Amino acid sequence: MADNEPKILSFLCNWCSYGAADLAGVSRMEYPSNIRVIRIPCTGRMSPKFILAGLRQGADAVWVSG
Amino acid sequence: MKSYTEKIKEISKGLLEEGKVDMVIGYRKGSVPLMHQPFFAQNQQEIDEFVWDSNCGLNLANYVTDRQEKIGILATGCNSRNIATHIVEGKIKREQLYIIGIPCKGMLDRHKLAAMADGPITTVEEDEEKGTVTISGDGFSETVDKTEALQQNCSICVHRNPVIYDELVADEVKEQTRDEVDPYAGVKEIEAMSPEEKWAHFDDLLSACIRCYACRNACPLCYCPLCFVDESKPQWVGKSIDPTDVRTFHFLRAYHCAGRCTDCGACVRACPVGINVRDFTKKLEKDCFELYGWEAGMSTEQRPPLDTYKPDDPEEFIK
Amino acid sequence: MKNLLEHMGIEPERLHFSWISSAESTKFVDVATKVTEAVKSLENKEKKFVKTKPKVA
Repeated sequence: MADNEPKILSFLCNWCSYGAADLAGVSRMEYPSNIRVIRIPCTGRMSPKFILAGLRQGADAVWVSG
Repeated sequence: MKSYTEKIKEISKGLLEEGKVDMVIGYRKGSVPLMHQPFFAQNQQEIDEFVWDSNCGLNLANYVTDRQEKIGILATGCNSRNIATHIVEGKIKREQLYIIGIPCKGMLDRHKLAAMADGPITTVEEDEEKGTVTISGDGFSETVDKTEALQQNCSICVHRNPVIYDELVADEVKEQTRDEVDPYAGVKEIEAMSPEEKWAHFDDLLSACIRCYACRNACPLCYCPLCFVDESKPQWVGKSIDPTDVRTFHFLRAYHCAGRCTDCGACVRACPVGINVRDFTKKLEKDCFELYGWEAGMSTEQRPPLDTYKPDDPEEFIK
Repeated sequence: MKNLLEHMGIEPERLHFSWISSAESTKFVDVATKVTEAVKSLENKEKKFVKTKPKVA
C-alpha cells in the first residue's frame, strides 16, 4: 500500500459492527482498505486508554463502533 | 479570619470531648508561607495548632477516602462538593463524617504572588477590613487587593458555601452568580483557537512539567489504588518527560475527573512549576454543565451523568 | 473524550464513533467510507500525539 494511505484503527463490537463488517464481506460489498479492525467483545470493553494508545502508536485516526 | 479559626477550634474541641469523632482534619501552619498543611488533630493540644486563612487551598476531601474512623472535617464550598462526590462513590459514609462548613472567601494564588514578589516571600499578612494582602520578604514588601491575588478558580467560584455540612462556623457568604462572573471565560479562549494553536498552547503549557504527580496526589478524585501511569502490563504511558507522555498523562488524568471535578484548584496549587492544570479539567466541567446540566457534588443522592443512562442523553457525536 | 481531544488540538476528524447493527452491512460500508474520507482530508497535516523515539542530546 502506498505510504500516504491513512491507517484507521477500528474498534468494532463483536455483536454489532463486527457482524455488520462480516455481513458486508459475505455480501461482497466493497469498503476502504484503510480500516484495521480490532474486535472487542462489546463496546463496553472500550477504554479511553485504547484510543490514546492507538494514536500514540501512529494510527491516523480511531473509529469506535458499537 | 481570626473569628473563623477560633470558632473552628471551639467546635473541634467540643467534638473530640464528646467523643463524636476520633480526629478532626484541618490545617496548621505550613513550613513555607502561602501553603498551610493539612493536619489531623487527635487531641486538644493538637487542635490549638489549627489555623484558618486564605492559604488553606489544599483539598481536605483528599484524606477521607476509605477511612474507618469517625472524622470531623473542615469543608469549604468545593471541599464539601468533593466530600459529597466521595459519598456518592462509596469512598466514605456520611455517618462517619462531621462536616464543619466554612463559607469561603477564596484562597490566595501562590504562583501569582510569587511572581509579584522580588524574592522569596517570608510573611503574608491579610487585612480583612481593607481587603488587602501584604507579602514581604528580604528587602521588599508589596500590598495588593485580595481580589487580585485570588486563585483563578476562586475568583470565578459560584459555590462558596458548603453544600453539605453539620455546622457552619459563620454566616453564609454571598454567592457570585453566573451572570456576574463567567466561569468558562478561560475555556472559551482556548476553544476559539484552531487545532494548531490549541496544540501549541498545550505544548507550551506542559513544557515545564516534571511529572512529579503532585497534581494527582493533591486531587481528591485521584484515589485509584493503581494509577494508569504506574501500570506496566501493558504500559500505557512512558515515565519520562517526553512531550507525548506528559500530554497523555495530563489528558487521561483530566478525563478520569470528567463529571467529578469541582474545580477546587488543588492541582494548580500543588504544582511546583505553576502549570495551570485546570485548562484541561475546566473544559470537561464546562461540557458536563452544558451537556448534562451537571455540577459535581451538589447532592449525595444523584448519580453522576457518566454513570447513568438516560434516553435523552446527547449523542450528536455518534454517527 | 472527543471534546477533550479536540480541546487539546487533535483534529475532530481523527476520532469517530458510530452505532451499527449487525444487519446493517450497507451502513457499515457507508460509515467506513465516510470515516476514511474524513481522515484522508487531513492527509497533509502532521500526525500528533505519536510517541517517537526520544531525542538524545
